[in-house]
Amino acid sequence: MSQTATEPAVARTGRKTTARKYPWYVIQPVERDRVRRFLEAFAAILRYTNYKPLLDQYVRSSAKCSRCTATCPVYEATGDPRDIPCNRSALLLDVYRRHFTISGWMKAKLTGDPGLTEATIDEMARSFYRCTACKRCLLECPMGIDHGLLTHLGRWILGELRIVPKGLEIATIEQLHGESGNTSAILPHALVDTLEFLEEEIEEMFGIPIKYPVDRMDREYAFFPAVSDFLMEPETLMGNLVTIYAAGDNDRWTIGTGYYDGINYGLFYSDHVLERVVKKVVAEAARLRAKKILIGECGHASRSAKEFVPVFGGEQARPVVNIMEYTWEKLEEGKLDLDPDIVTEPVTYHDPCNIARSGWILEKPREILKSFCRNFVEMIPNRTENYCCGGGGGTVSVDEIHDFRMSVAGRKKAEQMRATGAKYVVAPCANCKKQLRELIEYHELDMQCVGLHDLILKAIRIPGAKPPEARAEG
Amino acid sequence: MTETLDFVRGPLFLMTFGFLVLGLARHVFLRTFAVVRALRRTPCRDVPWGRVARKTAGWFLPVRHVLRGAPLMSMASIVFHVTILVVPVFLAQHVFLWHRGLGLSWPALAAGAADFLTLTALGTGVFLFLFRMVDRTARHMSRFSDYFLLAAVILPFASGYFALHPEGSPLPYETMLLIHVLSGELTFLLLPTTKLAHVVLFLFDRASTDIFWRFVPGAGDRVAEALRGSPKGAEAS
Repeated sequence: MSQTATEPAVARTGRKTTARKYPWYVIQPVERDRVRRFLEAFAAILRYTNYKPLLDQYVRSSAKCSRCTATCPVYEATGDPRDIPCNRSALLLDVYRRHFTISGWMKAKLTGDPGLTEATIDEMARSFYRCTACKRCLLECPMGIDHGLLTHLGRWILGELRIVPKGLEIATIEQLHGESGNTSAILPHALVDTLEFLEEEIEEMFGIPIKYPVDRMDREYAFFPAVSDFLMEPETLMGNLVTIYAAGDNDRWTIGTGYYDGINYGLFYSDHVLERVVKKVVAEAARLRAKKILIGECGHASRSAKEFVPVFGGEQARPVVNIMEYTWEKLEEGKLDLDPDIVTEPVTYHDPCNIARSGWILEKPREILKSFCRNFVEMIPNRTENYCCGGGGGTVSVDEIHDFRMSVAGRKKAEQMRATGAKYVVAPCANCKKQLRELIEYHELDMQCVGLHDLILKAIRIPGAKPPEARAEG
Repeated sequence: MTETLDFVRGPLFLMTFGFLVLGLARHVFLRTFAVVRALRRTPCRDVPWGRVARKTAGWFLPVRHVLRGAPLMSMASIVFHVTILVVPVFLAQHVFLWHRGLGLSWPALAAGAADFLTLTALGTGVFLFLFRMVDRTARHMSRFSDYFLLAAVILPFASGYFALHPEGSPLPYETMLLIHVLSGELTFLLLPTTKLAHVVLFLFDRASTDIFWRFVPGAGDRVAEALRGSPKGAEAS
């Protein structure tokens, strides 16, 4: 990573440069008294959350056995000891031990250890955003240390000092305080325009009108895709609609104009942001009186809803379903007719860490793909042991570390994709899609990254509509 | 010498062993309490206990994981752990002491097997020590305590072996026995007070990821209140 924030930040903002350098742009970080304020933030977080017992456990468990080195794609690419997951976590565990335990305090008295320094804070800022929070290291840690959770906590403490990549924070500010209320700043009328445009496209493709249900009350599902899909992934969204339509469920779901963003960067850097965004999703589903929350093709959006709607949703919490689970169910029920002669090229599937590592969604997308893609090939390793796309943990939204994502964090994934010889890599995640497309370009791979429903859009047969082969010709 | 030996084998043993048992029990109690308290603070308590138990059991003897990362070190580590648990518990001389002291009895290892396992423990222990010193990543990660604790665990096995085989011992039998008992008692003290506590904390390791991702509702607001006097997020400041 050769880029630092200082020079470009000055050029962009015209503000006076600061001596401190982060590997990414920051909006307005705390500059003075960082050590004291870091410790205050850490203390407050320990007081009101469950992290203290976790850290009590981990300071005694961390065996420094080096086994995580074999699982971390970042360390595999750099060989830099600072990139070893256990070493990264030690940055935080050492501060906890030194400043928040009696034995650490006594040891410091004996050895004269000054404790947390400015340099350690800089190193944390660097290091915690070189972790993609993919949790692959957890697979092989004999002590079960969840370095992804420690990365999350470290980023939250830094976040309270506003040491957060601008790419993440600016989207969060718009989502929580902006007029649009979502990360892509799409206003409701622009959303409706986009949906109308997509409907026109679908009518042109299929020869029949199919409409997105907007602001319909009392439906089974309220739909929240990654809001960036409305700008970047029209085929995924069209695929979602025609799938639901073909299954006969178009009167059982809705998109609400009150809130329509599944993205939750809080999962990456702040419990506080996470909770407030989850509450927006839950409130909109409640406003629409929808029975379930349906999340589009997005790994972190799905996980942040699945795991945290029950935690933060209170009495308004609802069951969370990922769109691939829905589609699989309809395929099983025989409600979807997918033409096996349309996608004949080799297809591979990328497991987004946020839905695969825990074992949540593994076989369903594969079964959907295998039902109509004749030539399905697996990446090795896959499923719970998959490699991160290299843009996980929000790093994909940090353009300043593009080189890092391409040549370090995503190197393994690029090698995996090349080895499959596939023409399509299916990535049911907005983050992964962006990263994989950049990887494909950077590593000059002869393939295309698509969503699962993009391929369904190509192959689906709807009675009374133009058949797939006619659409392909058109 | 005899008086010293009697003291370390008698009252000191009882004290240190008592410290060990109570210290480890304290860990189990505190961890259980911490888990219960953590879960009481979150509305989402559906921890998949069955899966956690299966994973914990799988890591009890993690042979499936050996080839997946640092295979030599991992194999050595498993063998080391098994032998250092088996030898002290099933050594005939130790079983005899338990029988004489408390009337308890259980099957003991044959002398040859005990020797073999002790030498295996020593061999793998020394290998792990050297691995930390030589392997680039392990060396970078290791601190003094990592070497010290490993050495402290190896010492009772080395001294015990020489106490049983005085013919090859560099020190007189009684001195070696004294070192053996004292070093054993040192590990009793270290087990509950250092990272060696993983001997019981291990039971809680696998559950941590399933328990502690269940956050506390309202905690973010309270943190913001404490830091900025209002529940507004840092991004709004």
